Amino acid sequence: MFKPTLMVPGLALAVATAAAADSAHDIVARADHVRNPERPFRVNATVIEYKSGQAVDKNTFAVYSKVDPSTGQFRDVMVYVSPPRDAGKMLLLNGGNLWFYDPASRQSVRISPQQKLTGEASAGDVLSENLGVDYTAKLMGTEIIDDAARQKRACWRLDLAAAGDAATYKRVEYWVEEASYNPIKAKFYADSGELLKVLYYRNFVKRGDRISPAQAVIIDAVDSALVTVVDIGELHFQDIPDNWFQRDYLPHLKLD
Amino acid sequence: MNGPARIRALLMLCLGAHRALAQSDPEIDRIPVGSAVADETPTANRNLYWQTDFTYDMPRNDLIVPLSPPPLWEARGFLDMRLDRRLDEHLSAAYSGRFNLRAEDGLGFPNRENIRNDLREAYVAWTDNEGWFVQFGRINLKSGVAEGFNPTDYFKTRAVVEPTSIDPAVLREDRLGAVMLQSQWIGTAGSITIALAPKLTGDSPPYGNDALPSFNPMFDRTNARDRVLFKGSISAANGVSPEFLIYNEEGVTRFGFNLSKGFGRAIIAYLEWSGGRRAGLVDAAYEEGRSTGVLPAEPAIPLDGTRAFSNDLAAGLSYTTQAGINLAMEFDYHQAGFSNRDWRNWFGAGGRGELVAGELWFIRGFAGEEQEPTARAGLFLRAYWQNAFIKNLTLSSFALFDLRDGSSVAQASADYYLSPRWTVGAIVDAYGGARDSDFGSLPQRGSALLKITRYF
Repeated sequence: MFKPTLMVPGLALAVATAAAADSAHDIVARADHVRNPERPFRVNATVIEYKSGQAVDKNTFAVYSKVDPSTGQFRDVMVYVSPPRDAGKMLLLNGGNLWFYDPASRQSVRISPQQKLTGEASAGDVLSENLGVDYTAKLMGTEIIDDAARQKRACWRLDLAAAGDAATYKRVEYWVEEASYNPIKAKFYADSGELLKVLYYRNFVKRGDRISPAQAVIIDAVDSALVTVVDIGELHFQDIPDNWFQRDYLPHLKLD
Repeated sequence: MNGPARIRALLMLCLGAHRALAQSDPEIDRIPVGSAVADETPTANRNLYWQTDFTYDMPRNDLIVPLSPPPLWEARGFLDMRLDRRLDEHLSAAYSGRFNLRAEDGLGFPNRENIRNDLREAYVAWTDNEGWFVQFGRINLKSGVAEGFNPTDYFKTRAVVEPTSIDPAVLREDRLGAVMLQSQWIGTAGSITIALAPKLTGDSPPYGNDALPSFNPMFDRTNARDRVLFKGSISAANGVSPEFLIYNEEGVTRFGFNLSKGFGRAIIAYLEWSGGRRAGLVDAAYEEGRSTGVLPAEPAIPLDGTRAFSNDLAAGLSYTTQAGINLAMEFDYHQAGFSNRDWRNWFGAGGRGELVAGELWFIRGFAGEEQEPTARAGLFLRAYWQNAFIKNLTLSSFALFDLRDGSSVAQASADYYLSPRWTVGAIVDAYGGARDSDFGSLPQRGSALLKITRYF
């Protein structure tokens, strides 16, 4: 997979060799692994929405995530922690099946991917996308791009096409850093071809034995004043039984 | 340029010698500087809020079947609480209730109706943490996938007390649980649930909001009969997720199923059915009224005197637009509802004086208490738009049409989140139709409600 870097004059050659060795799918899968590990985990995520540079909304979620071994897709339960009016609501994402649970009614209601896209947890959808499984990737070449801090990054540019209904977006442009396989940037497109969101990962930090992004910035391409910043907390690896991803389990799920 | 930056720039030049240098992204300039986040105390296992609302009712004065008009105004403040606490590795306890302070037109002060408490749920739960759950206490057990009418939601009967809205979604929230022992197994292939709700007290006649007890838990509404529910759900690979139900109440069994499925990225389809032998609405109401001693042996309108297999059905579709507007359309069928003959008899007997009118309204009130439509066939429409036009504004509306006479009840509501802890909202209801129609015969033309909510 990843080739060791040679001396500086040969760096470009080394990276080019790595690109040739890695298929587009391998690159996306490794970048997925940086975003979300294969072991089941819980993470707290805080989503802050900015309008014209001012923070206007803040939501906090606890996310339980586990790979479905039969499909390779991530299954997620997102538990709303704040604001208080939403506390205890849950979103279950299990392949193409999406359920929304409201503790006030004690009922789970099936929702469509479009509702997920436009609902309260819409900022989270781009983070929970399982790009390596839900999309078919094509390597378009290499580019040097600015990351969120305007640092130059040498990246593979990939074009991802939705492989089925589990994919929320029709098309994704994706930039993955060649040296580290860190996901740097993504652009998400609607069925119509309209650019909807631009995503940057930043603040890559070492947590335990792995390096992962501590923050994602989602720039709304439709509403030019809107930016969402997602703070991704420390990952806590824990056993998550498979029945947690059944809609009937949601009323029983309790945050410790 | 400092040393490391110069080296980095040189490296980039090396790399850039053979690859594209993408144009600098102008979006980066929109990223806000800094995003310090204060730690949140997890509150997902509790909800606590205070709501104050004021309702103004618009009565209808041309009723064919006379009835006292509803209070012209109502004012209410309530503390709504939901707690779910883990006691140890296997045990937990839950409470859900609402403490009300209320005043209304014609209600004296002080009065026992000024203070009320609704004990919705109070139970203990045990789990083996592998998939088995046993719960005991007052539990709200709900079933069904439809938005307007839930034929398989068997524990809905008489459970709703003084709701803040006639929206079916709100009626599912503001209701009392039944005292029951519930056992549930949840596996990866589906789940099995059995619930035993015993008779704890005698039956009582339906009573309105002006006769609600202050602190009585009202088991007469939820545990006046022996009831058993068995249901199983399957996690089908194609995402249909059907649920099958068998319900027995005092020896009478009903069967049901519900299922839903997504089509593409924006459409959800659902189907819910229940069937069993039962009396029609008029017969069932008289059966109840006579057994509780409030209706005479001689009925004001003819009874069928039979029980037959009767079907309840709700079938619907929902669609979400790219702008995030969720639209739903649902067909509802309730075979035990009023037939054309029942409607003719009901309006025909309406002019025979106050005493008969009381009997007739008892029948309509009984249907309302049972959370079942009076009509046999209805069409339910809903539109829901979160962040409508501006951030934090939610607009919602629904309309329910009686397909026999075209009458309708419609509601429009708006909620605006002033801050994470404050919400203001308004609801407007309107009842339309001819004097001799389902919704046009009700004692109000509409109502308006203003509310403010503080979350803790």
